[in-house]
Amino acid sequence: MRLFFELSKLHFRQQMAYRTSTFSNLSVNFFFGLMRIAVLLALYGERESVEGLDLVGVVTYLALSQSLITFITIFGSGDLMRAVYSGEIATQLLKPMHYFNYAMAEDMGRSMFNLIFRGVLLFAIYDLFFKVTYPANALVWLCFFASIWLAWLISFAYRFLVNTSSFWTPNAKGMLRFFFTLSWLLSGFLMPLRLFPDWLQRIAAFTPFPYVLDTPVEIYMGLRSPNEMLESLLLQAFWVVALILLAQLFLKRGTRRLVILGG
Amino acid sequence: MHQATLYFRLVLVQLQSQLQYRASFVFEILSTAFIVFVEFLAVAVVFERFEHIKGWTLGEVALLWAMVEISFGLMDMLFQGFDPPVFAEKIRLGTFDQLLLRPVNITLQVLASELELRRIGKIILGIAIFFLALNLTDIEWTWIKVALIPCMILSMTMFFAALFMFGSTITFWTVQSIDLLKILTYGGSYLMTYPMHIYQNWMRRIFTFIIPAIFLNYYPALYILDKPDPFNFPSFAPFIGIALAAMMLLLAYRFWIFGIRHYQSTGS
Repeated sequence: MRLFFELSKLHFRQQMAYRTSTFSNLSVNFFFGLMRIAVLLALYGERESVEGLDLVGVVTYLALSQSLITFITIFGSGDLMRAVYSGEIATQLLKPMHYFNYAMAEDMGRSMFNLIFRGVLLFAIYDLFFKVTYPANALVWLCFFASIWLAWLISFAYRFLVNTSSFWTPNAKGMLRFFFTLSWLLSGFLMPLRLFPDWLQRIAAFTPFPYVLDTPVEIYMGLRSPNEMLESLLLQAFWVVALILLAQLFLKRGTRRLVILGG
Repeated sequence: MHQATLYFRLVLVQLQSQLQYRASFVFEILSTAFIVFVEFLAVAVVFERFEHIKGWTLGEVALLWAMVEISFGLMDMLFQGFDPPVFAEKIRLGTFDQLLLRPVNITLQVLASELELRRIGKIILGIAIFFLALNLTDIEWTWIKVALIPCMILSMTMFFAALFMFGSTITFWTVQSIDLLKILTYGGSYLMTYPMHIYQNWMRRIFTFIIPAIFLNYYPALYILDKPDPFNFPSFAPFIGIALAAMMLLLAYRFWIFGIRHYQSTGS
């Protein structure tokens, strides 16, 4: 466990080296946020509230989901894929730590950095330009923090699972692109899930995707009662367990058929 | 003539290598198309509830959307060599220096160095959205309107290509590619998929007077859809896009040539 946190800390520090890219990233993120807010406010037009989302609510939803992009790595990641194709995976598998945990520690360090130096900072910037809301009480804050970490775990396990496809195919890029894009649609990243028609919301509810973004954001905004919050957290926990088991299984199967050429 | 044959030869090599793994290539195209599909779907299903966005219906927005996807897809496929992160990699690794040593036009070599065929997926989906737009709107076609369609595609292709070229040239000095430029490339393409009057004034003014994006997609679309101009520009506004885009590309090309003259290798 200590090793895990040491590794996390290391990758946290590594991120510090990319300060100029953090600045660019914030600007691009903010610009996209501005446009997405403009689009939704234009869609609202004269309406004051749709499906329980009022104007301040919809802005908060977008600001918060934009702020969480890098924390939950919504665009996806290809660390395992690159390690498999470069052969680096061989040395990583030899390390005295289970590869899944190793990769998780690495990802956690990066995400922690992104939460503090990108997420919080971005949300503060959005707060400067727009009216956004904050959680009403300590319970909501608490559930929100529990929820984003469960969301991060789901995201990590899901990304890892998708990446294991590189054990079976010589070019998994298309596969990754497909499965990450799917998560944009059903997580609430492209549009708040509440605004989708019922049939699409119902499909989304059967997938892990809403629990990666929509759930923590809705908890934050106070759109869920204490009972519903508990239910959401339990469902998130279910997906964490299910996806971690699946990812481990695929890693095990994958490494069994792995052939590394010496060089 | 010799240059053209050379370009096609170089590109052919690229294509052959991409077609090597047939199954994964098909999946590359499908997954690229899937991105466009998903992004459009998210907006299309939400339109059901709202019906219009400041007076524009889904079909009308789809026209803007289709033009952007087709143009950006086309540009991204042909100008991949000038994609700033891709080009920055060439500077960093010193492979650009290799290209400079060859007795062939350098611009042509960079153009031919990358060609991502999978972008066809984006273009195909763009065409599909275009047909959807035709279906959902009833445009009274005239010859001028028909001619405007390829002009829009050509002008936006040149516009995005100019931005790519500009971004690549900057890396001569910075070595790293400047992420900030994504505001103009990816941000610009997102911006243009919606009618410009939905944005705040300051933002729209930037994309009118500093970056003339508004004349490439919004104004021609106003003309095609017979919509009144909310900003009272002269009546030739829908037709100047292609000239503006050509000018931008020319400027970017000049800057690129200037950059090459002043290029000092990283020495790696």
